[in-house]
Amino acid sequence: MSELINFDGLKDMAALLELLPERKKRMKKASAEPQTGDAMAALARALHPELQRLVIADVRQEAAGARVFRLVSDMESGTAAPAVFRAGQYLSLKIDISGVRVARPYSISSSPADAADGGFYEITIRKKDGGFLSEHAWKEWRVGTKIEASGPAGFFCVEPLRDARHIVGLAGGSGITPFRSMLKDIVETGADVKFTLLYGVNRPDEIMFKSDLEAFAAQAPDRINVHFVCCEPDAAWCGPTGFLTADSIRKLAGDPAGKSFFICGPQAMYSFLETELKQFELPKRRVRREVFGETADVSAHPDYPTDAAGKSFSMTVHCGSETTVIPANSSESALVALERAGIAPPSECRSGECGFCASILMNGKVFVIPETDRRRLAAKKFDVFHPCSSYPVTDIEVKVPLDKS
Amino acid sequence: MAEGKKAKLGGACDAVIIGAGNGGLAAALALAVRGAKPLVLEQHNAPGGFATSFVRGRFEFEAALHELSSIGPENNKGGVRRFLEDEGGVDIDWVPIPEAYRVILTDSGMDARLPFGEAPFIDAIEEKVPGSREPLTRYFALCREVSGALGLLAKTASNPSPKRIMKDLKKFVAESADPFDDARRNASNVVTFLRTLPKTVDEVTLKMGIPPKAVDLLYPYWCYLGIPMSRMNFTIWAAMLIDYIDYGAWIPRLRSQEMSYAIEARVRELGGRVEYNTRVDRVLVERGRVKGVVTASGETIKTSAVIANTSPTQLYGSLVSPASEAPAAALRNVNSRKLGGAGFVVYLGLDASPVELGVNDYGYFISKTMNTDAVYGSMEKLDLVDMQATICLNNAIPDCSPPGTTIISMTTLYKPGVWDAVKPKEYAALKNRLADAMISQFDDALGTDIRSRVEEIEVATPATFARYARSFNGGIYGYELDPWDSIIPRILSEKDESYIKGLEVAGGFATMGHGFSSSLISGRSAGLKTLAGLGG
Repeated sequence: MSELINFDGLKDMAALLELLPERKKRMKKASAEPQTGDAMAALARALHPELQRLVIADVRQEAAGARVFRLVSDMESGTAAPAVFRAGQYLSLKIDISGVRVARPYSISSSPADAADGGFYEITIRKKDGGFLSEHAWKEWRVGTKIEASGPAGFFCVEPLRDARHIVGLAGGSGITPFRSMLKDIVETGADVKFTLLYGVNRPDEIMFKSDLEAFAAQAPDRINVHFVCCEPDAAWCGPTGFLTADSIRKLAGDPAGKSFFICGPQAMYSFLETELKQFELPKRRVRREVFGETADVSAHPDYPTDAAGKSFSMTVHCGSETTVIPANSSESALVALERAGIAPPSECRSGECGFCASILMNGKVFVIPETDRRRLAAKKFDVFHPCSSYPVTDIEVKVPLDKS
Repeated sequence: MAEGKKAKLGGACDAVIIGAGNGGLAAALALAVRGAKPLVLEQHNAPGGFATSFVRGRFEFEAALHELSSIGPENNKGGVRRFLEDEGGVDIDWVPIPEAYRVILTDSGMDARLPFGEAPFIDAIEEKVPGSREPLTRYFALCREVSGALGLLAKTASNPSPKRIMKDLKKFVAESADPFDDARRNASNVVTFLRTLPKTVDEVTLKMGIPPKAVDLLYPYWCYLGIPMSRMNFTIWAAMLIDYIDYGAWIPRLRSQEMSYAIEARVRELGGRVEYNTRVDRVLVERGRVKGVVTASGETIKTSAVIANTSPTQLYGSLVSPASEAPAAALRNVNSRKLGGAGFVVYLGLDASPVELGVNDYGYFISKTMNTDAVYGSMEKLDLVDMQATICLNNAIPDCSPPGTTIISMTTLYKPGVWDAVKPKEYAALKNRLADAMISQFDDALGTDIRSRVEEIEVATPATFARYARSFNGGIYGYELDPWDSIIPRILSEKDESYIKGLEVAGGFATMGHGFSSSLISGRSAGLKTLAGLGG
């Protein structure tokens, strides 16, 4: 339209008529080699392998009746090297126990440098923590035992763009494991961060990694401080005593203002520390908590519908083109029932966080612990639930995704 | 899994859709509402592809969507909304974006807030750059003609007959053989359409007498197509500009994940099936016809129709099996085309309100300059890119995060290959360095201090998009829309470039180009073509 735009009309028409020939010409000239490689898919697989085939290279005794299992890649099965991880992350171990495949998350207690260039991971398991898997590990795991694991996962990591330059770690019991990784990492990388670790134990002999932690502090005295705090000290104890409280934290770690707090320990410790830390009036961004796995006694939750306690329900499970009816106890997560029946979807965190086990609740009701309900808003709207953190309170009918394997 | 209890998908079905991204879900919906029973196989554990969200702490982040075009309000629905609601019966709570965008050019200090609607949009530019009104008014009229003609052709295209389109186009060309016959050219906006068809955006726009500073304010949407204006085809630009300015932009209230779950639920309700954790590794082809697919767990599903919500580069390069069934012409086709940008996004959950932070707009285009060649050039290095497209979700949906908090996400692009040499052990530090620079880029441009209020941070890289959506090399855009590879040449070549019977492509790499709306439309069209092939 000449009043809108002034083109050289004839040439424009010619150009139009050349568009398709140009397209054909370009395609004719191009290579016929298939592009099979995809560097970003390869990087993603290296960072987040769906499955790592590992083998136990060493087992050593740690204090408090813990064992440290050193895992290296199982070259024979095709895993070339352990995937890179960030200090504070965990592995979800996939174990077959008498025909039932279960998955449990364990923090990596070794450092990223240990895993680099075909190195190793260490995970540390205390027998007294009990549970299906730790008992099995204790009985069956030897040097040479093959273990399958997820890629490194989890968000309990120091993040320079978010966290303060001075971090206070609050550890309880076997919750020390990710902190061992973090401190070792700070020593090895020379990271520009201060870390004060307060490690609370019941008795002196429950301190794990005592000499390691002391060595890290000695190697980086200007950056790392470690304090052991004991509830029931013996006569030889000369350190601080009692629980980790607001007072003892302030005394050992100094003014809480401007510091980031990282907490990992047993469930009881979280609720206790939550109250204590309130006194510091810290912004939420200054407090990070590791997820704590499945809730020990869901019926103790104040919102739990009490009439469901101690009952057994039926769960109708659609998976692929198959339908199965299985029993489900109200005291156990839906994931446990699915695992027992051998139809569990993949899972990693067992804390409601990662969404790997996401399934559809077609009928019936489940109780989801509000504090650990990390479902997306749309997932809730469309009846998606995470079996690992959902407890049946009626008969239920669900659609679970296939396992990848 | 206990031995011998492996769940099966069932051996055969009418149509298999590979991938539950926007294109795959739209294809499934188009099929399911017409009585077909598609089987959608998705490698991830949730629907959506890029149309997804994720939770960190007390924040739920939108993964990819900035805004959808072609939605429009209830009383003036755009094409995508009509498809989803009226045709598909999918109920989504749409929220309008308050304004087109705020553009900040850091070199010149230009800072402008542009509203939707042609008149207010032109007013806002005129206010910043006097003398823009007249040429911009002509420019919009031109864009509107092109957009209208494309709409006409798109309607023909949904009744798939490239032959017919070709015939129509030839007729139009013949009828306007005399370029100086103004009366005839005025008679049809198709003439304008045809004349601008081979042009780049610059070739058309820079001849209109629009002051250069006004062009700077007009161009920011370029980054949604990701190819510099010296190469971007004018037709698709005009259509996109008019769509946004006329219909506004919209997002689902519960993030784009609401849209993907809503479509998925509707597909299941209509008898379709959607299976997760199910990656398709091979598309079986025999003598040029689709025979089935094989999943990563080794299960074969027989089918005569496959819709691939993936790039043809991957499809012909590694999915078609045996490899000898990938025709040389198909491989030449994908190799001749340029892959679009790979994504890099910084997601921030901040512990202050937007007002406290001084972040009062929804969409920001922050760029050194609006020299799109220079900005595009900066995407070729593994360093801070000259432009970021940033959204503050709370300024469209105030309660999207808890009171006193804010969600911001900053997006930029890298050219394919830029990330190829990154080693896993450098990865975390690299992410951090680039995210750090983008936060400074934002704070410096706005004079804000979001840096000190970070409660949650997550960073998505090309590897992240490759991981969750299997996008080829982490690309978030499809093939670049040069004039020779823009929508019309693609439509006109569809028949010639259909290499395997029973195989259609949906999503950002399909005919309509990338973007949420385009992918939904191309998915619908792939569904319709498949249905025609099934004899439905």
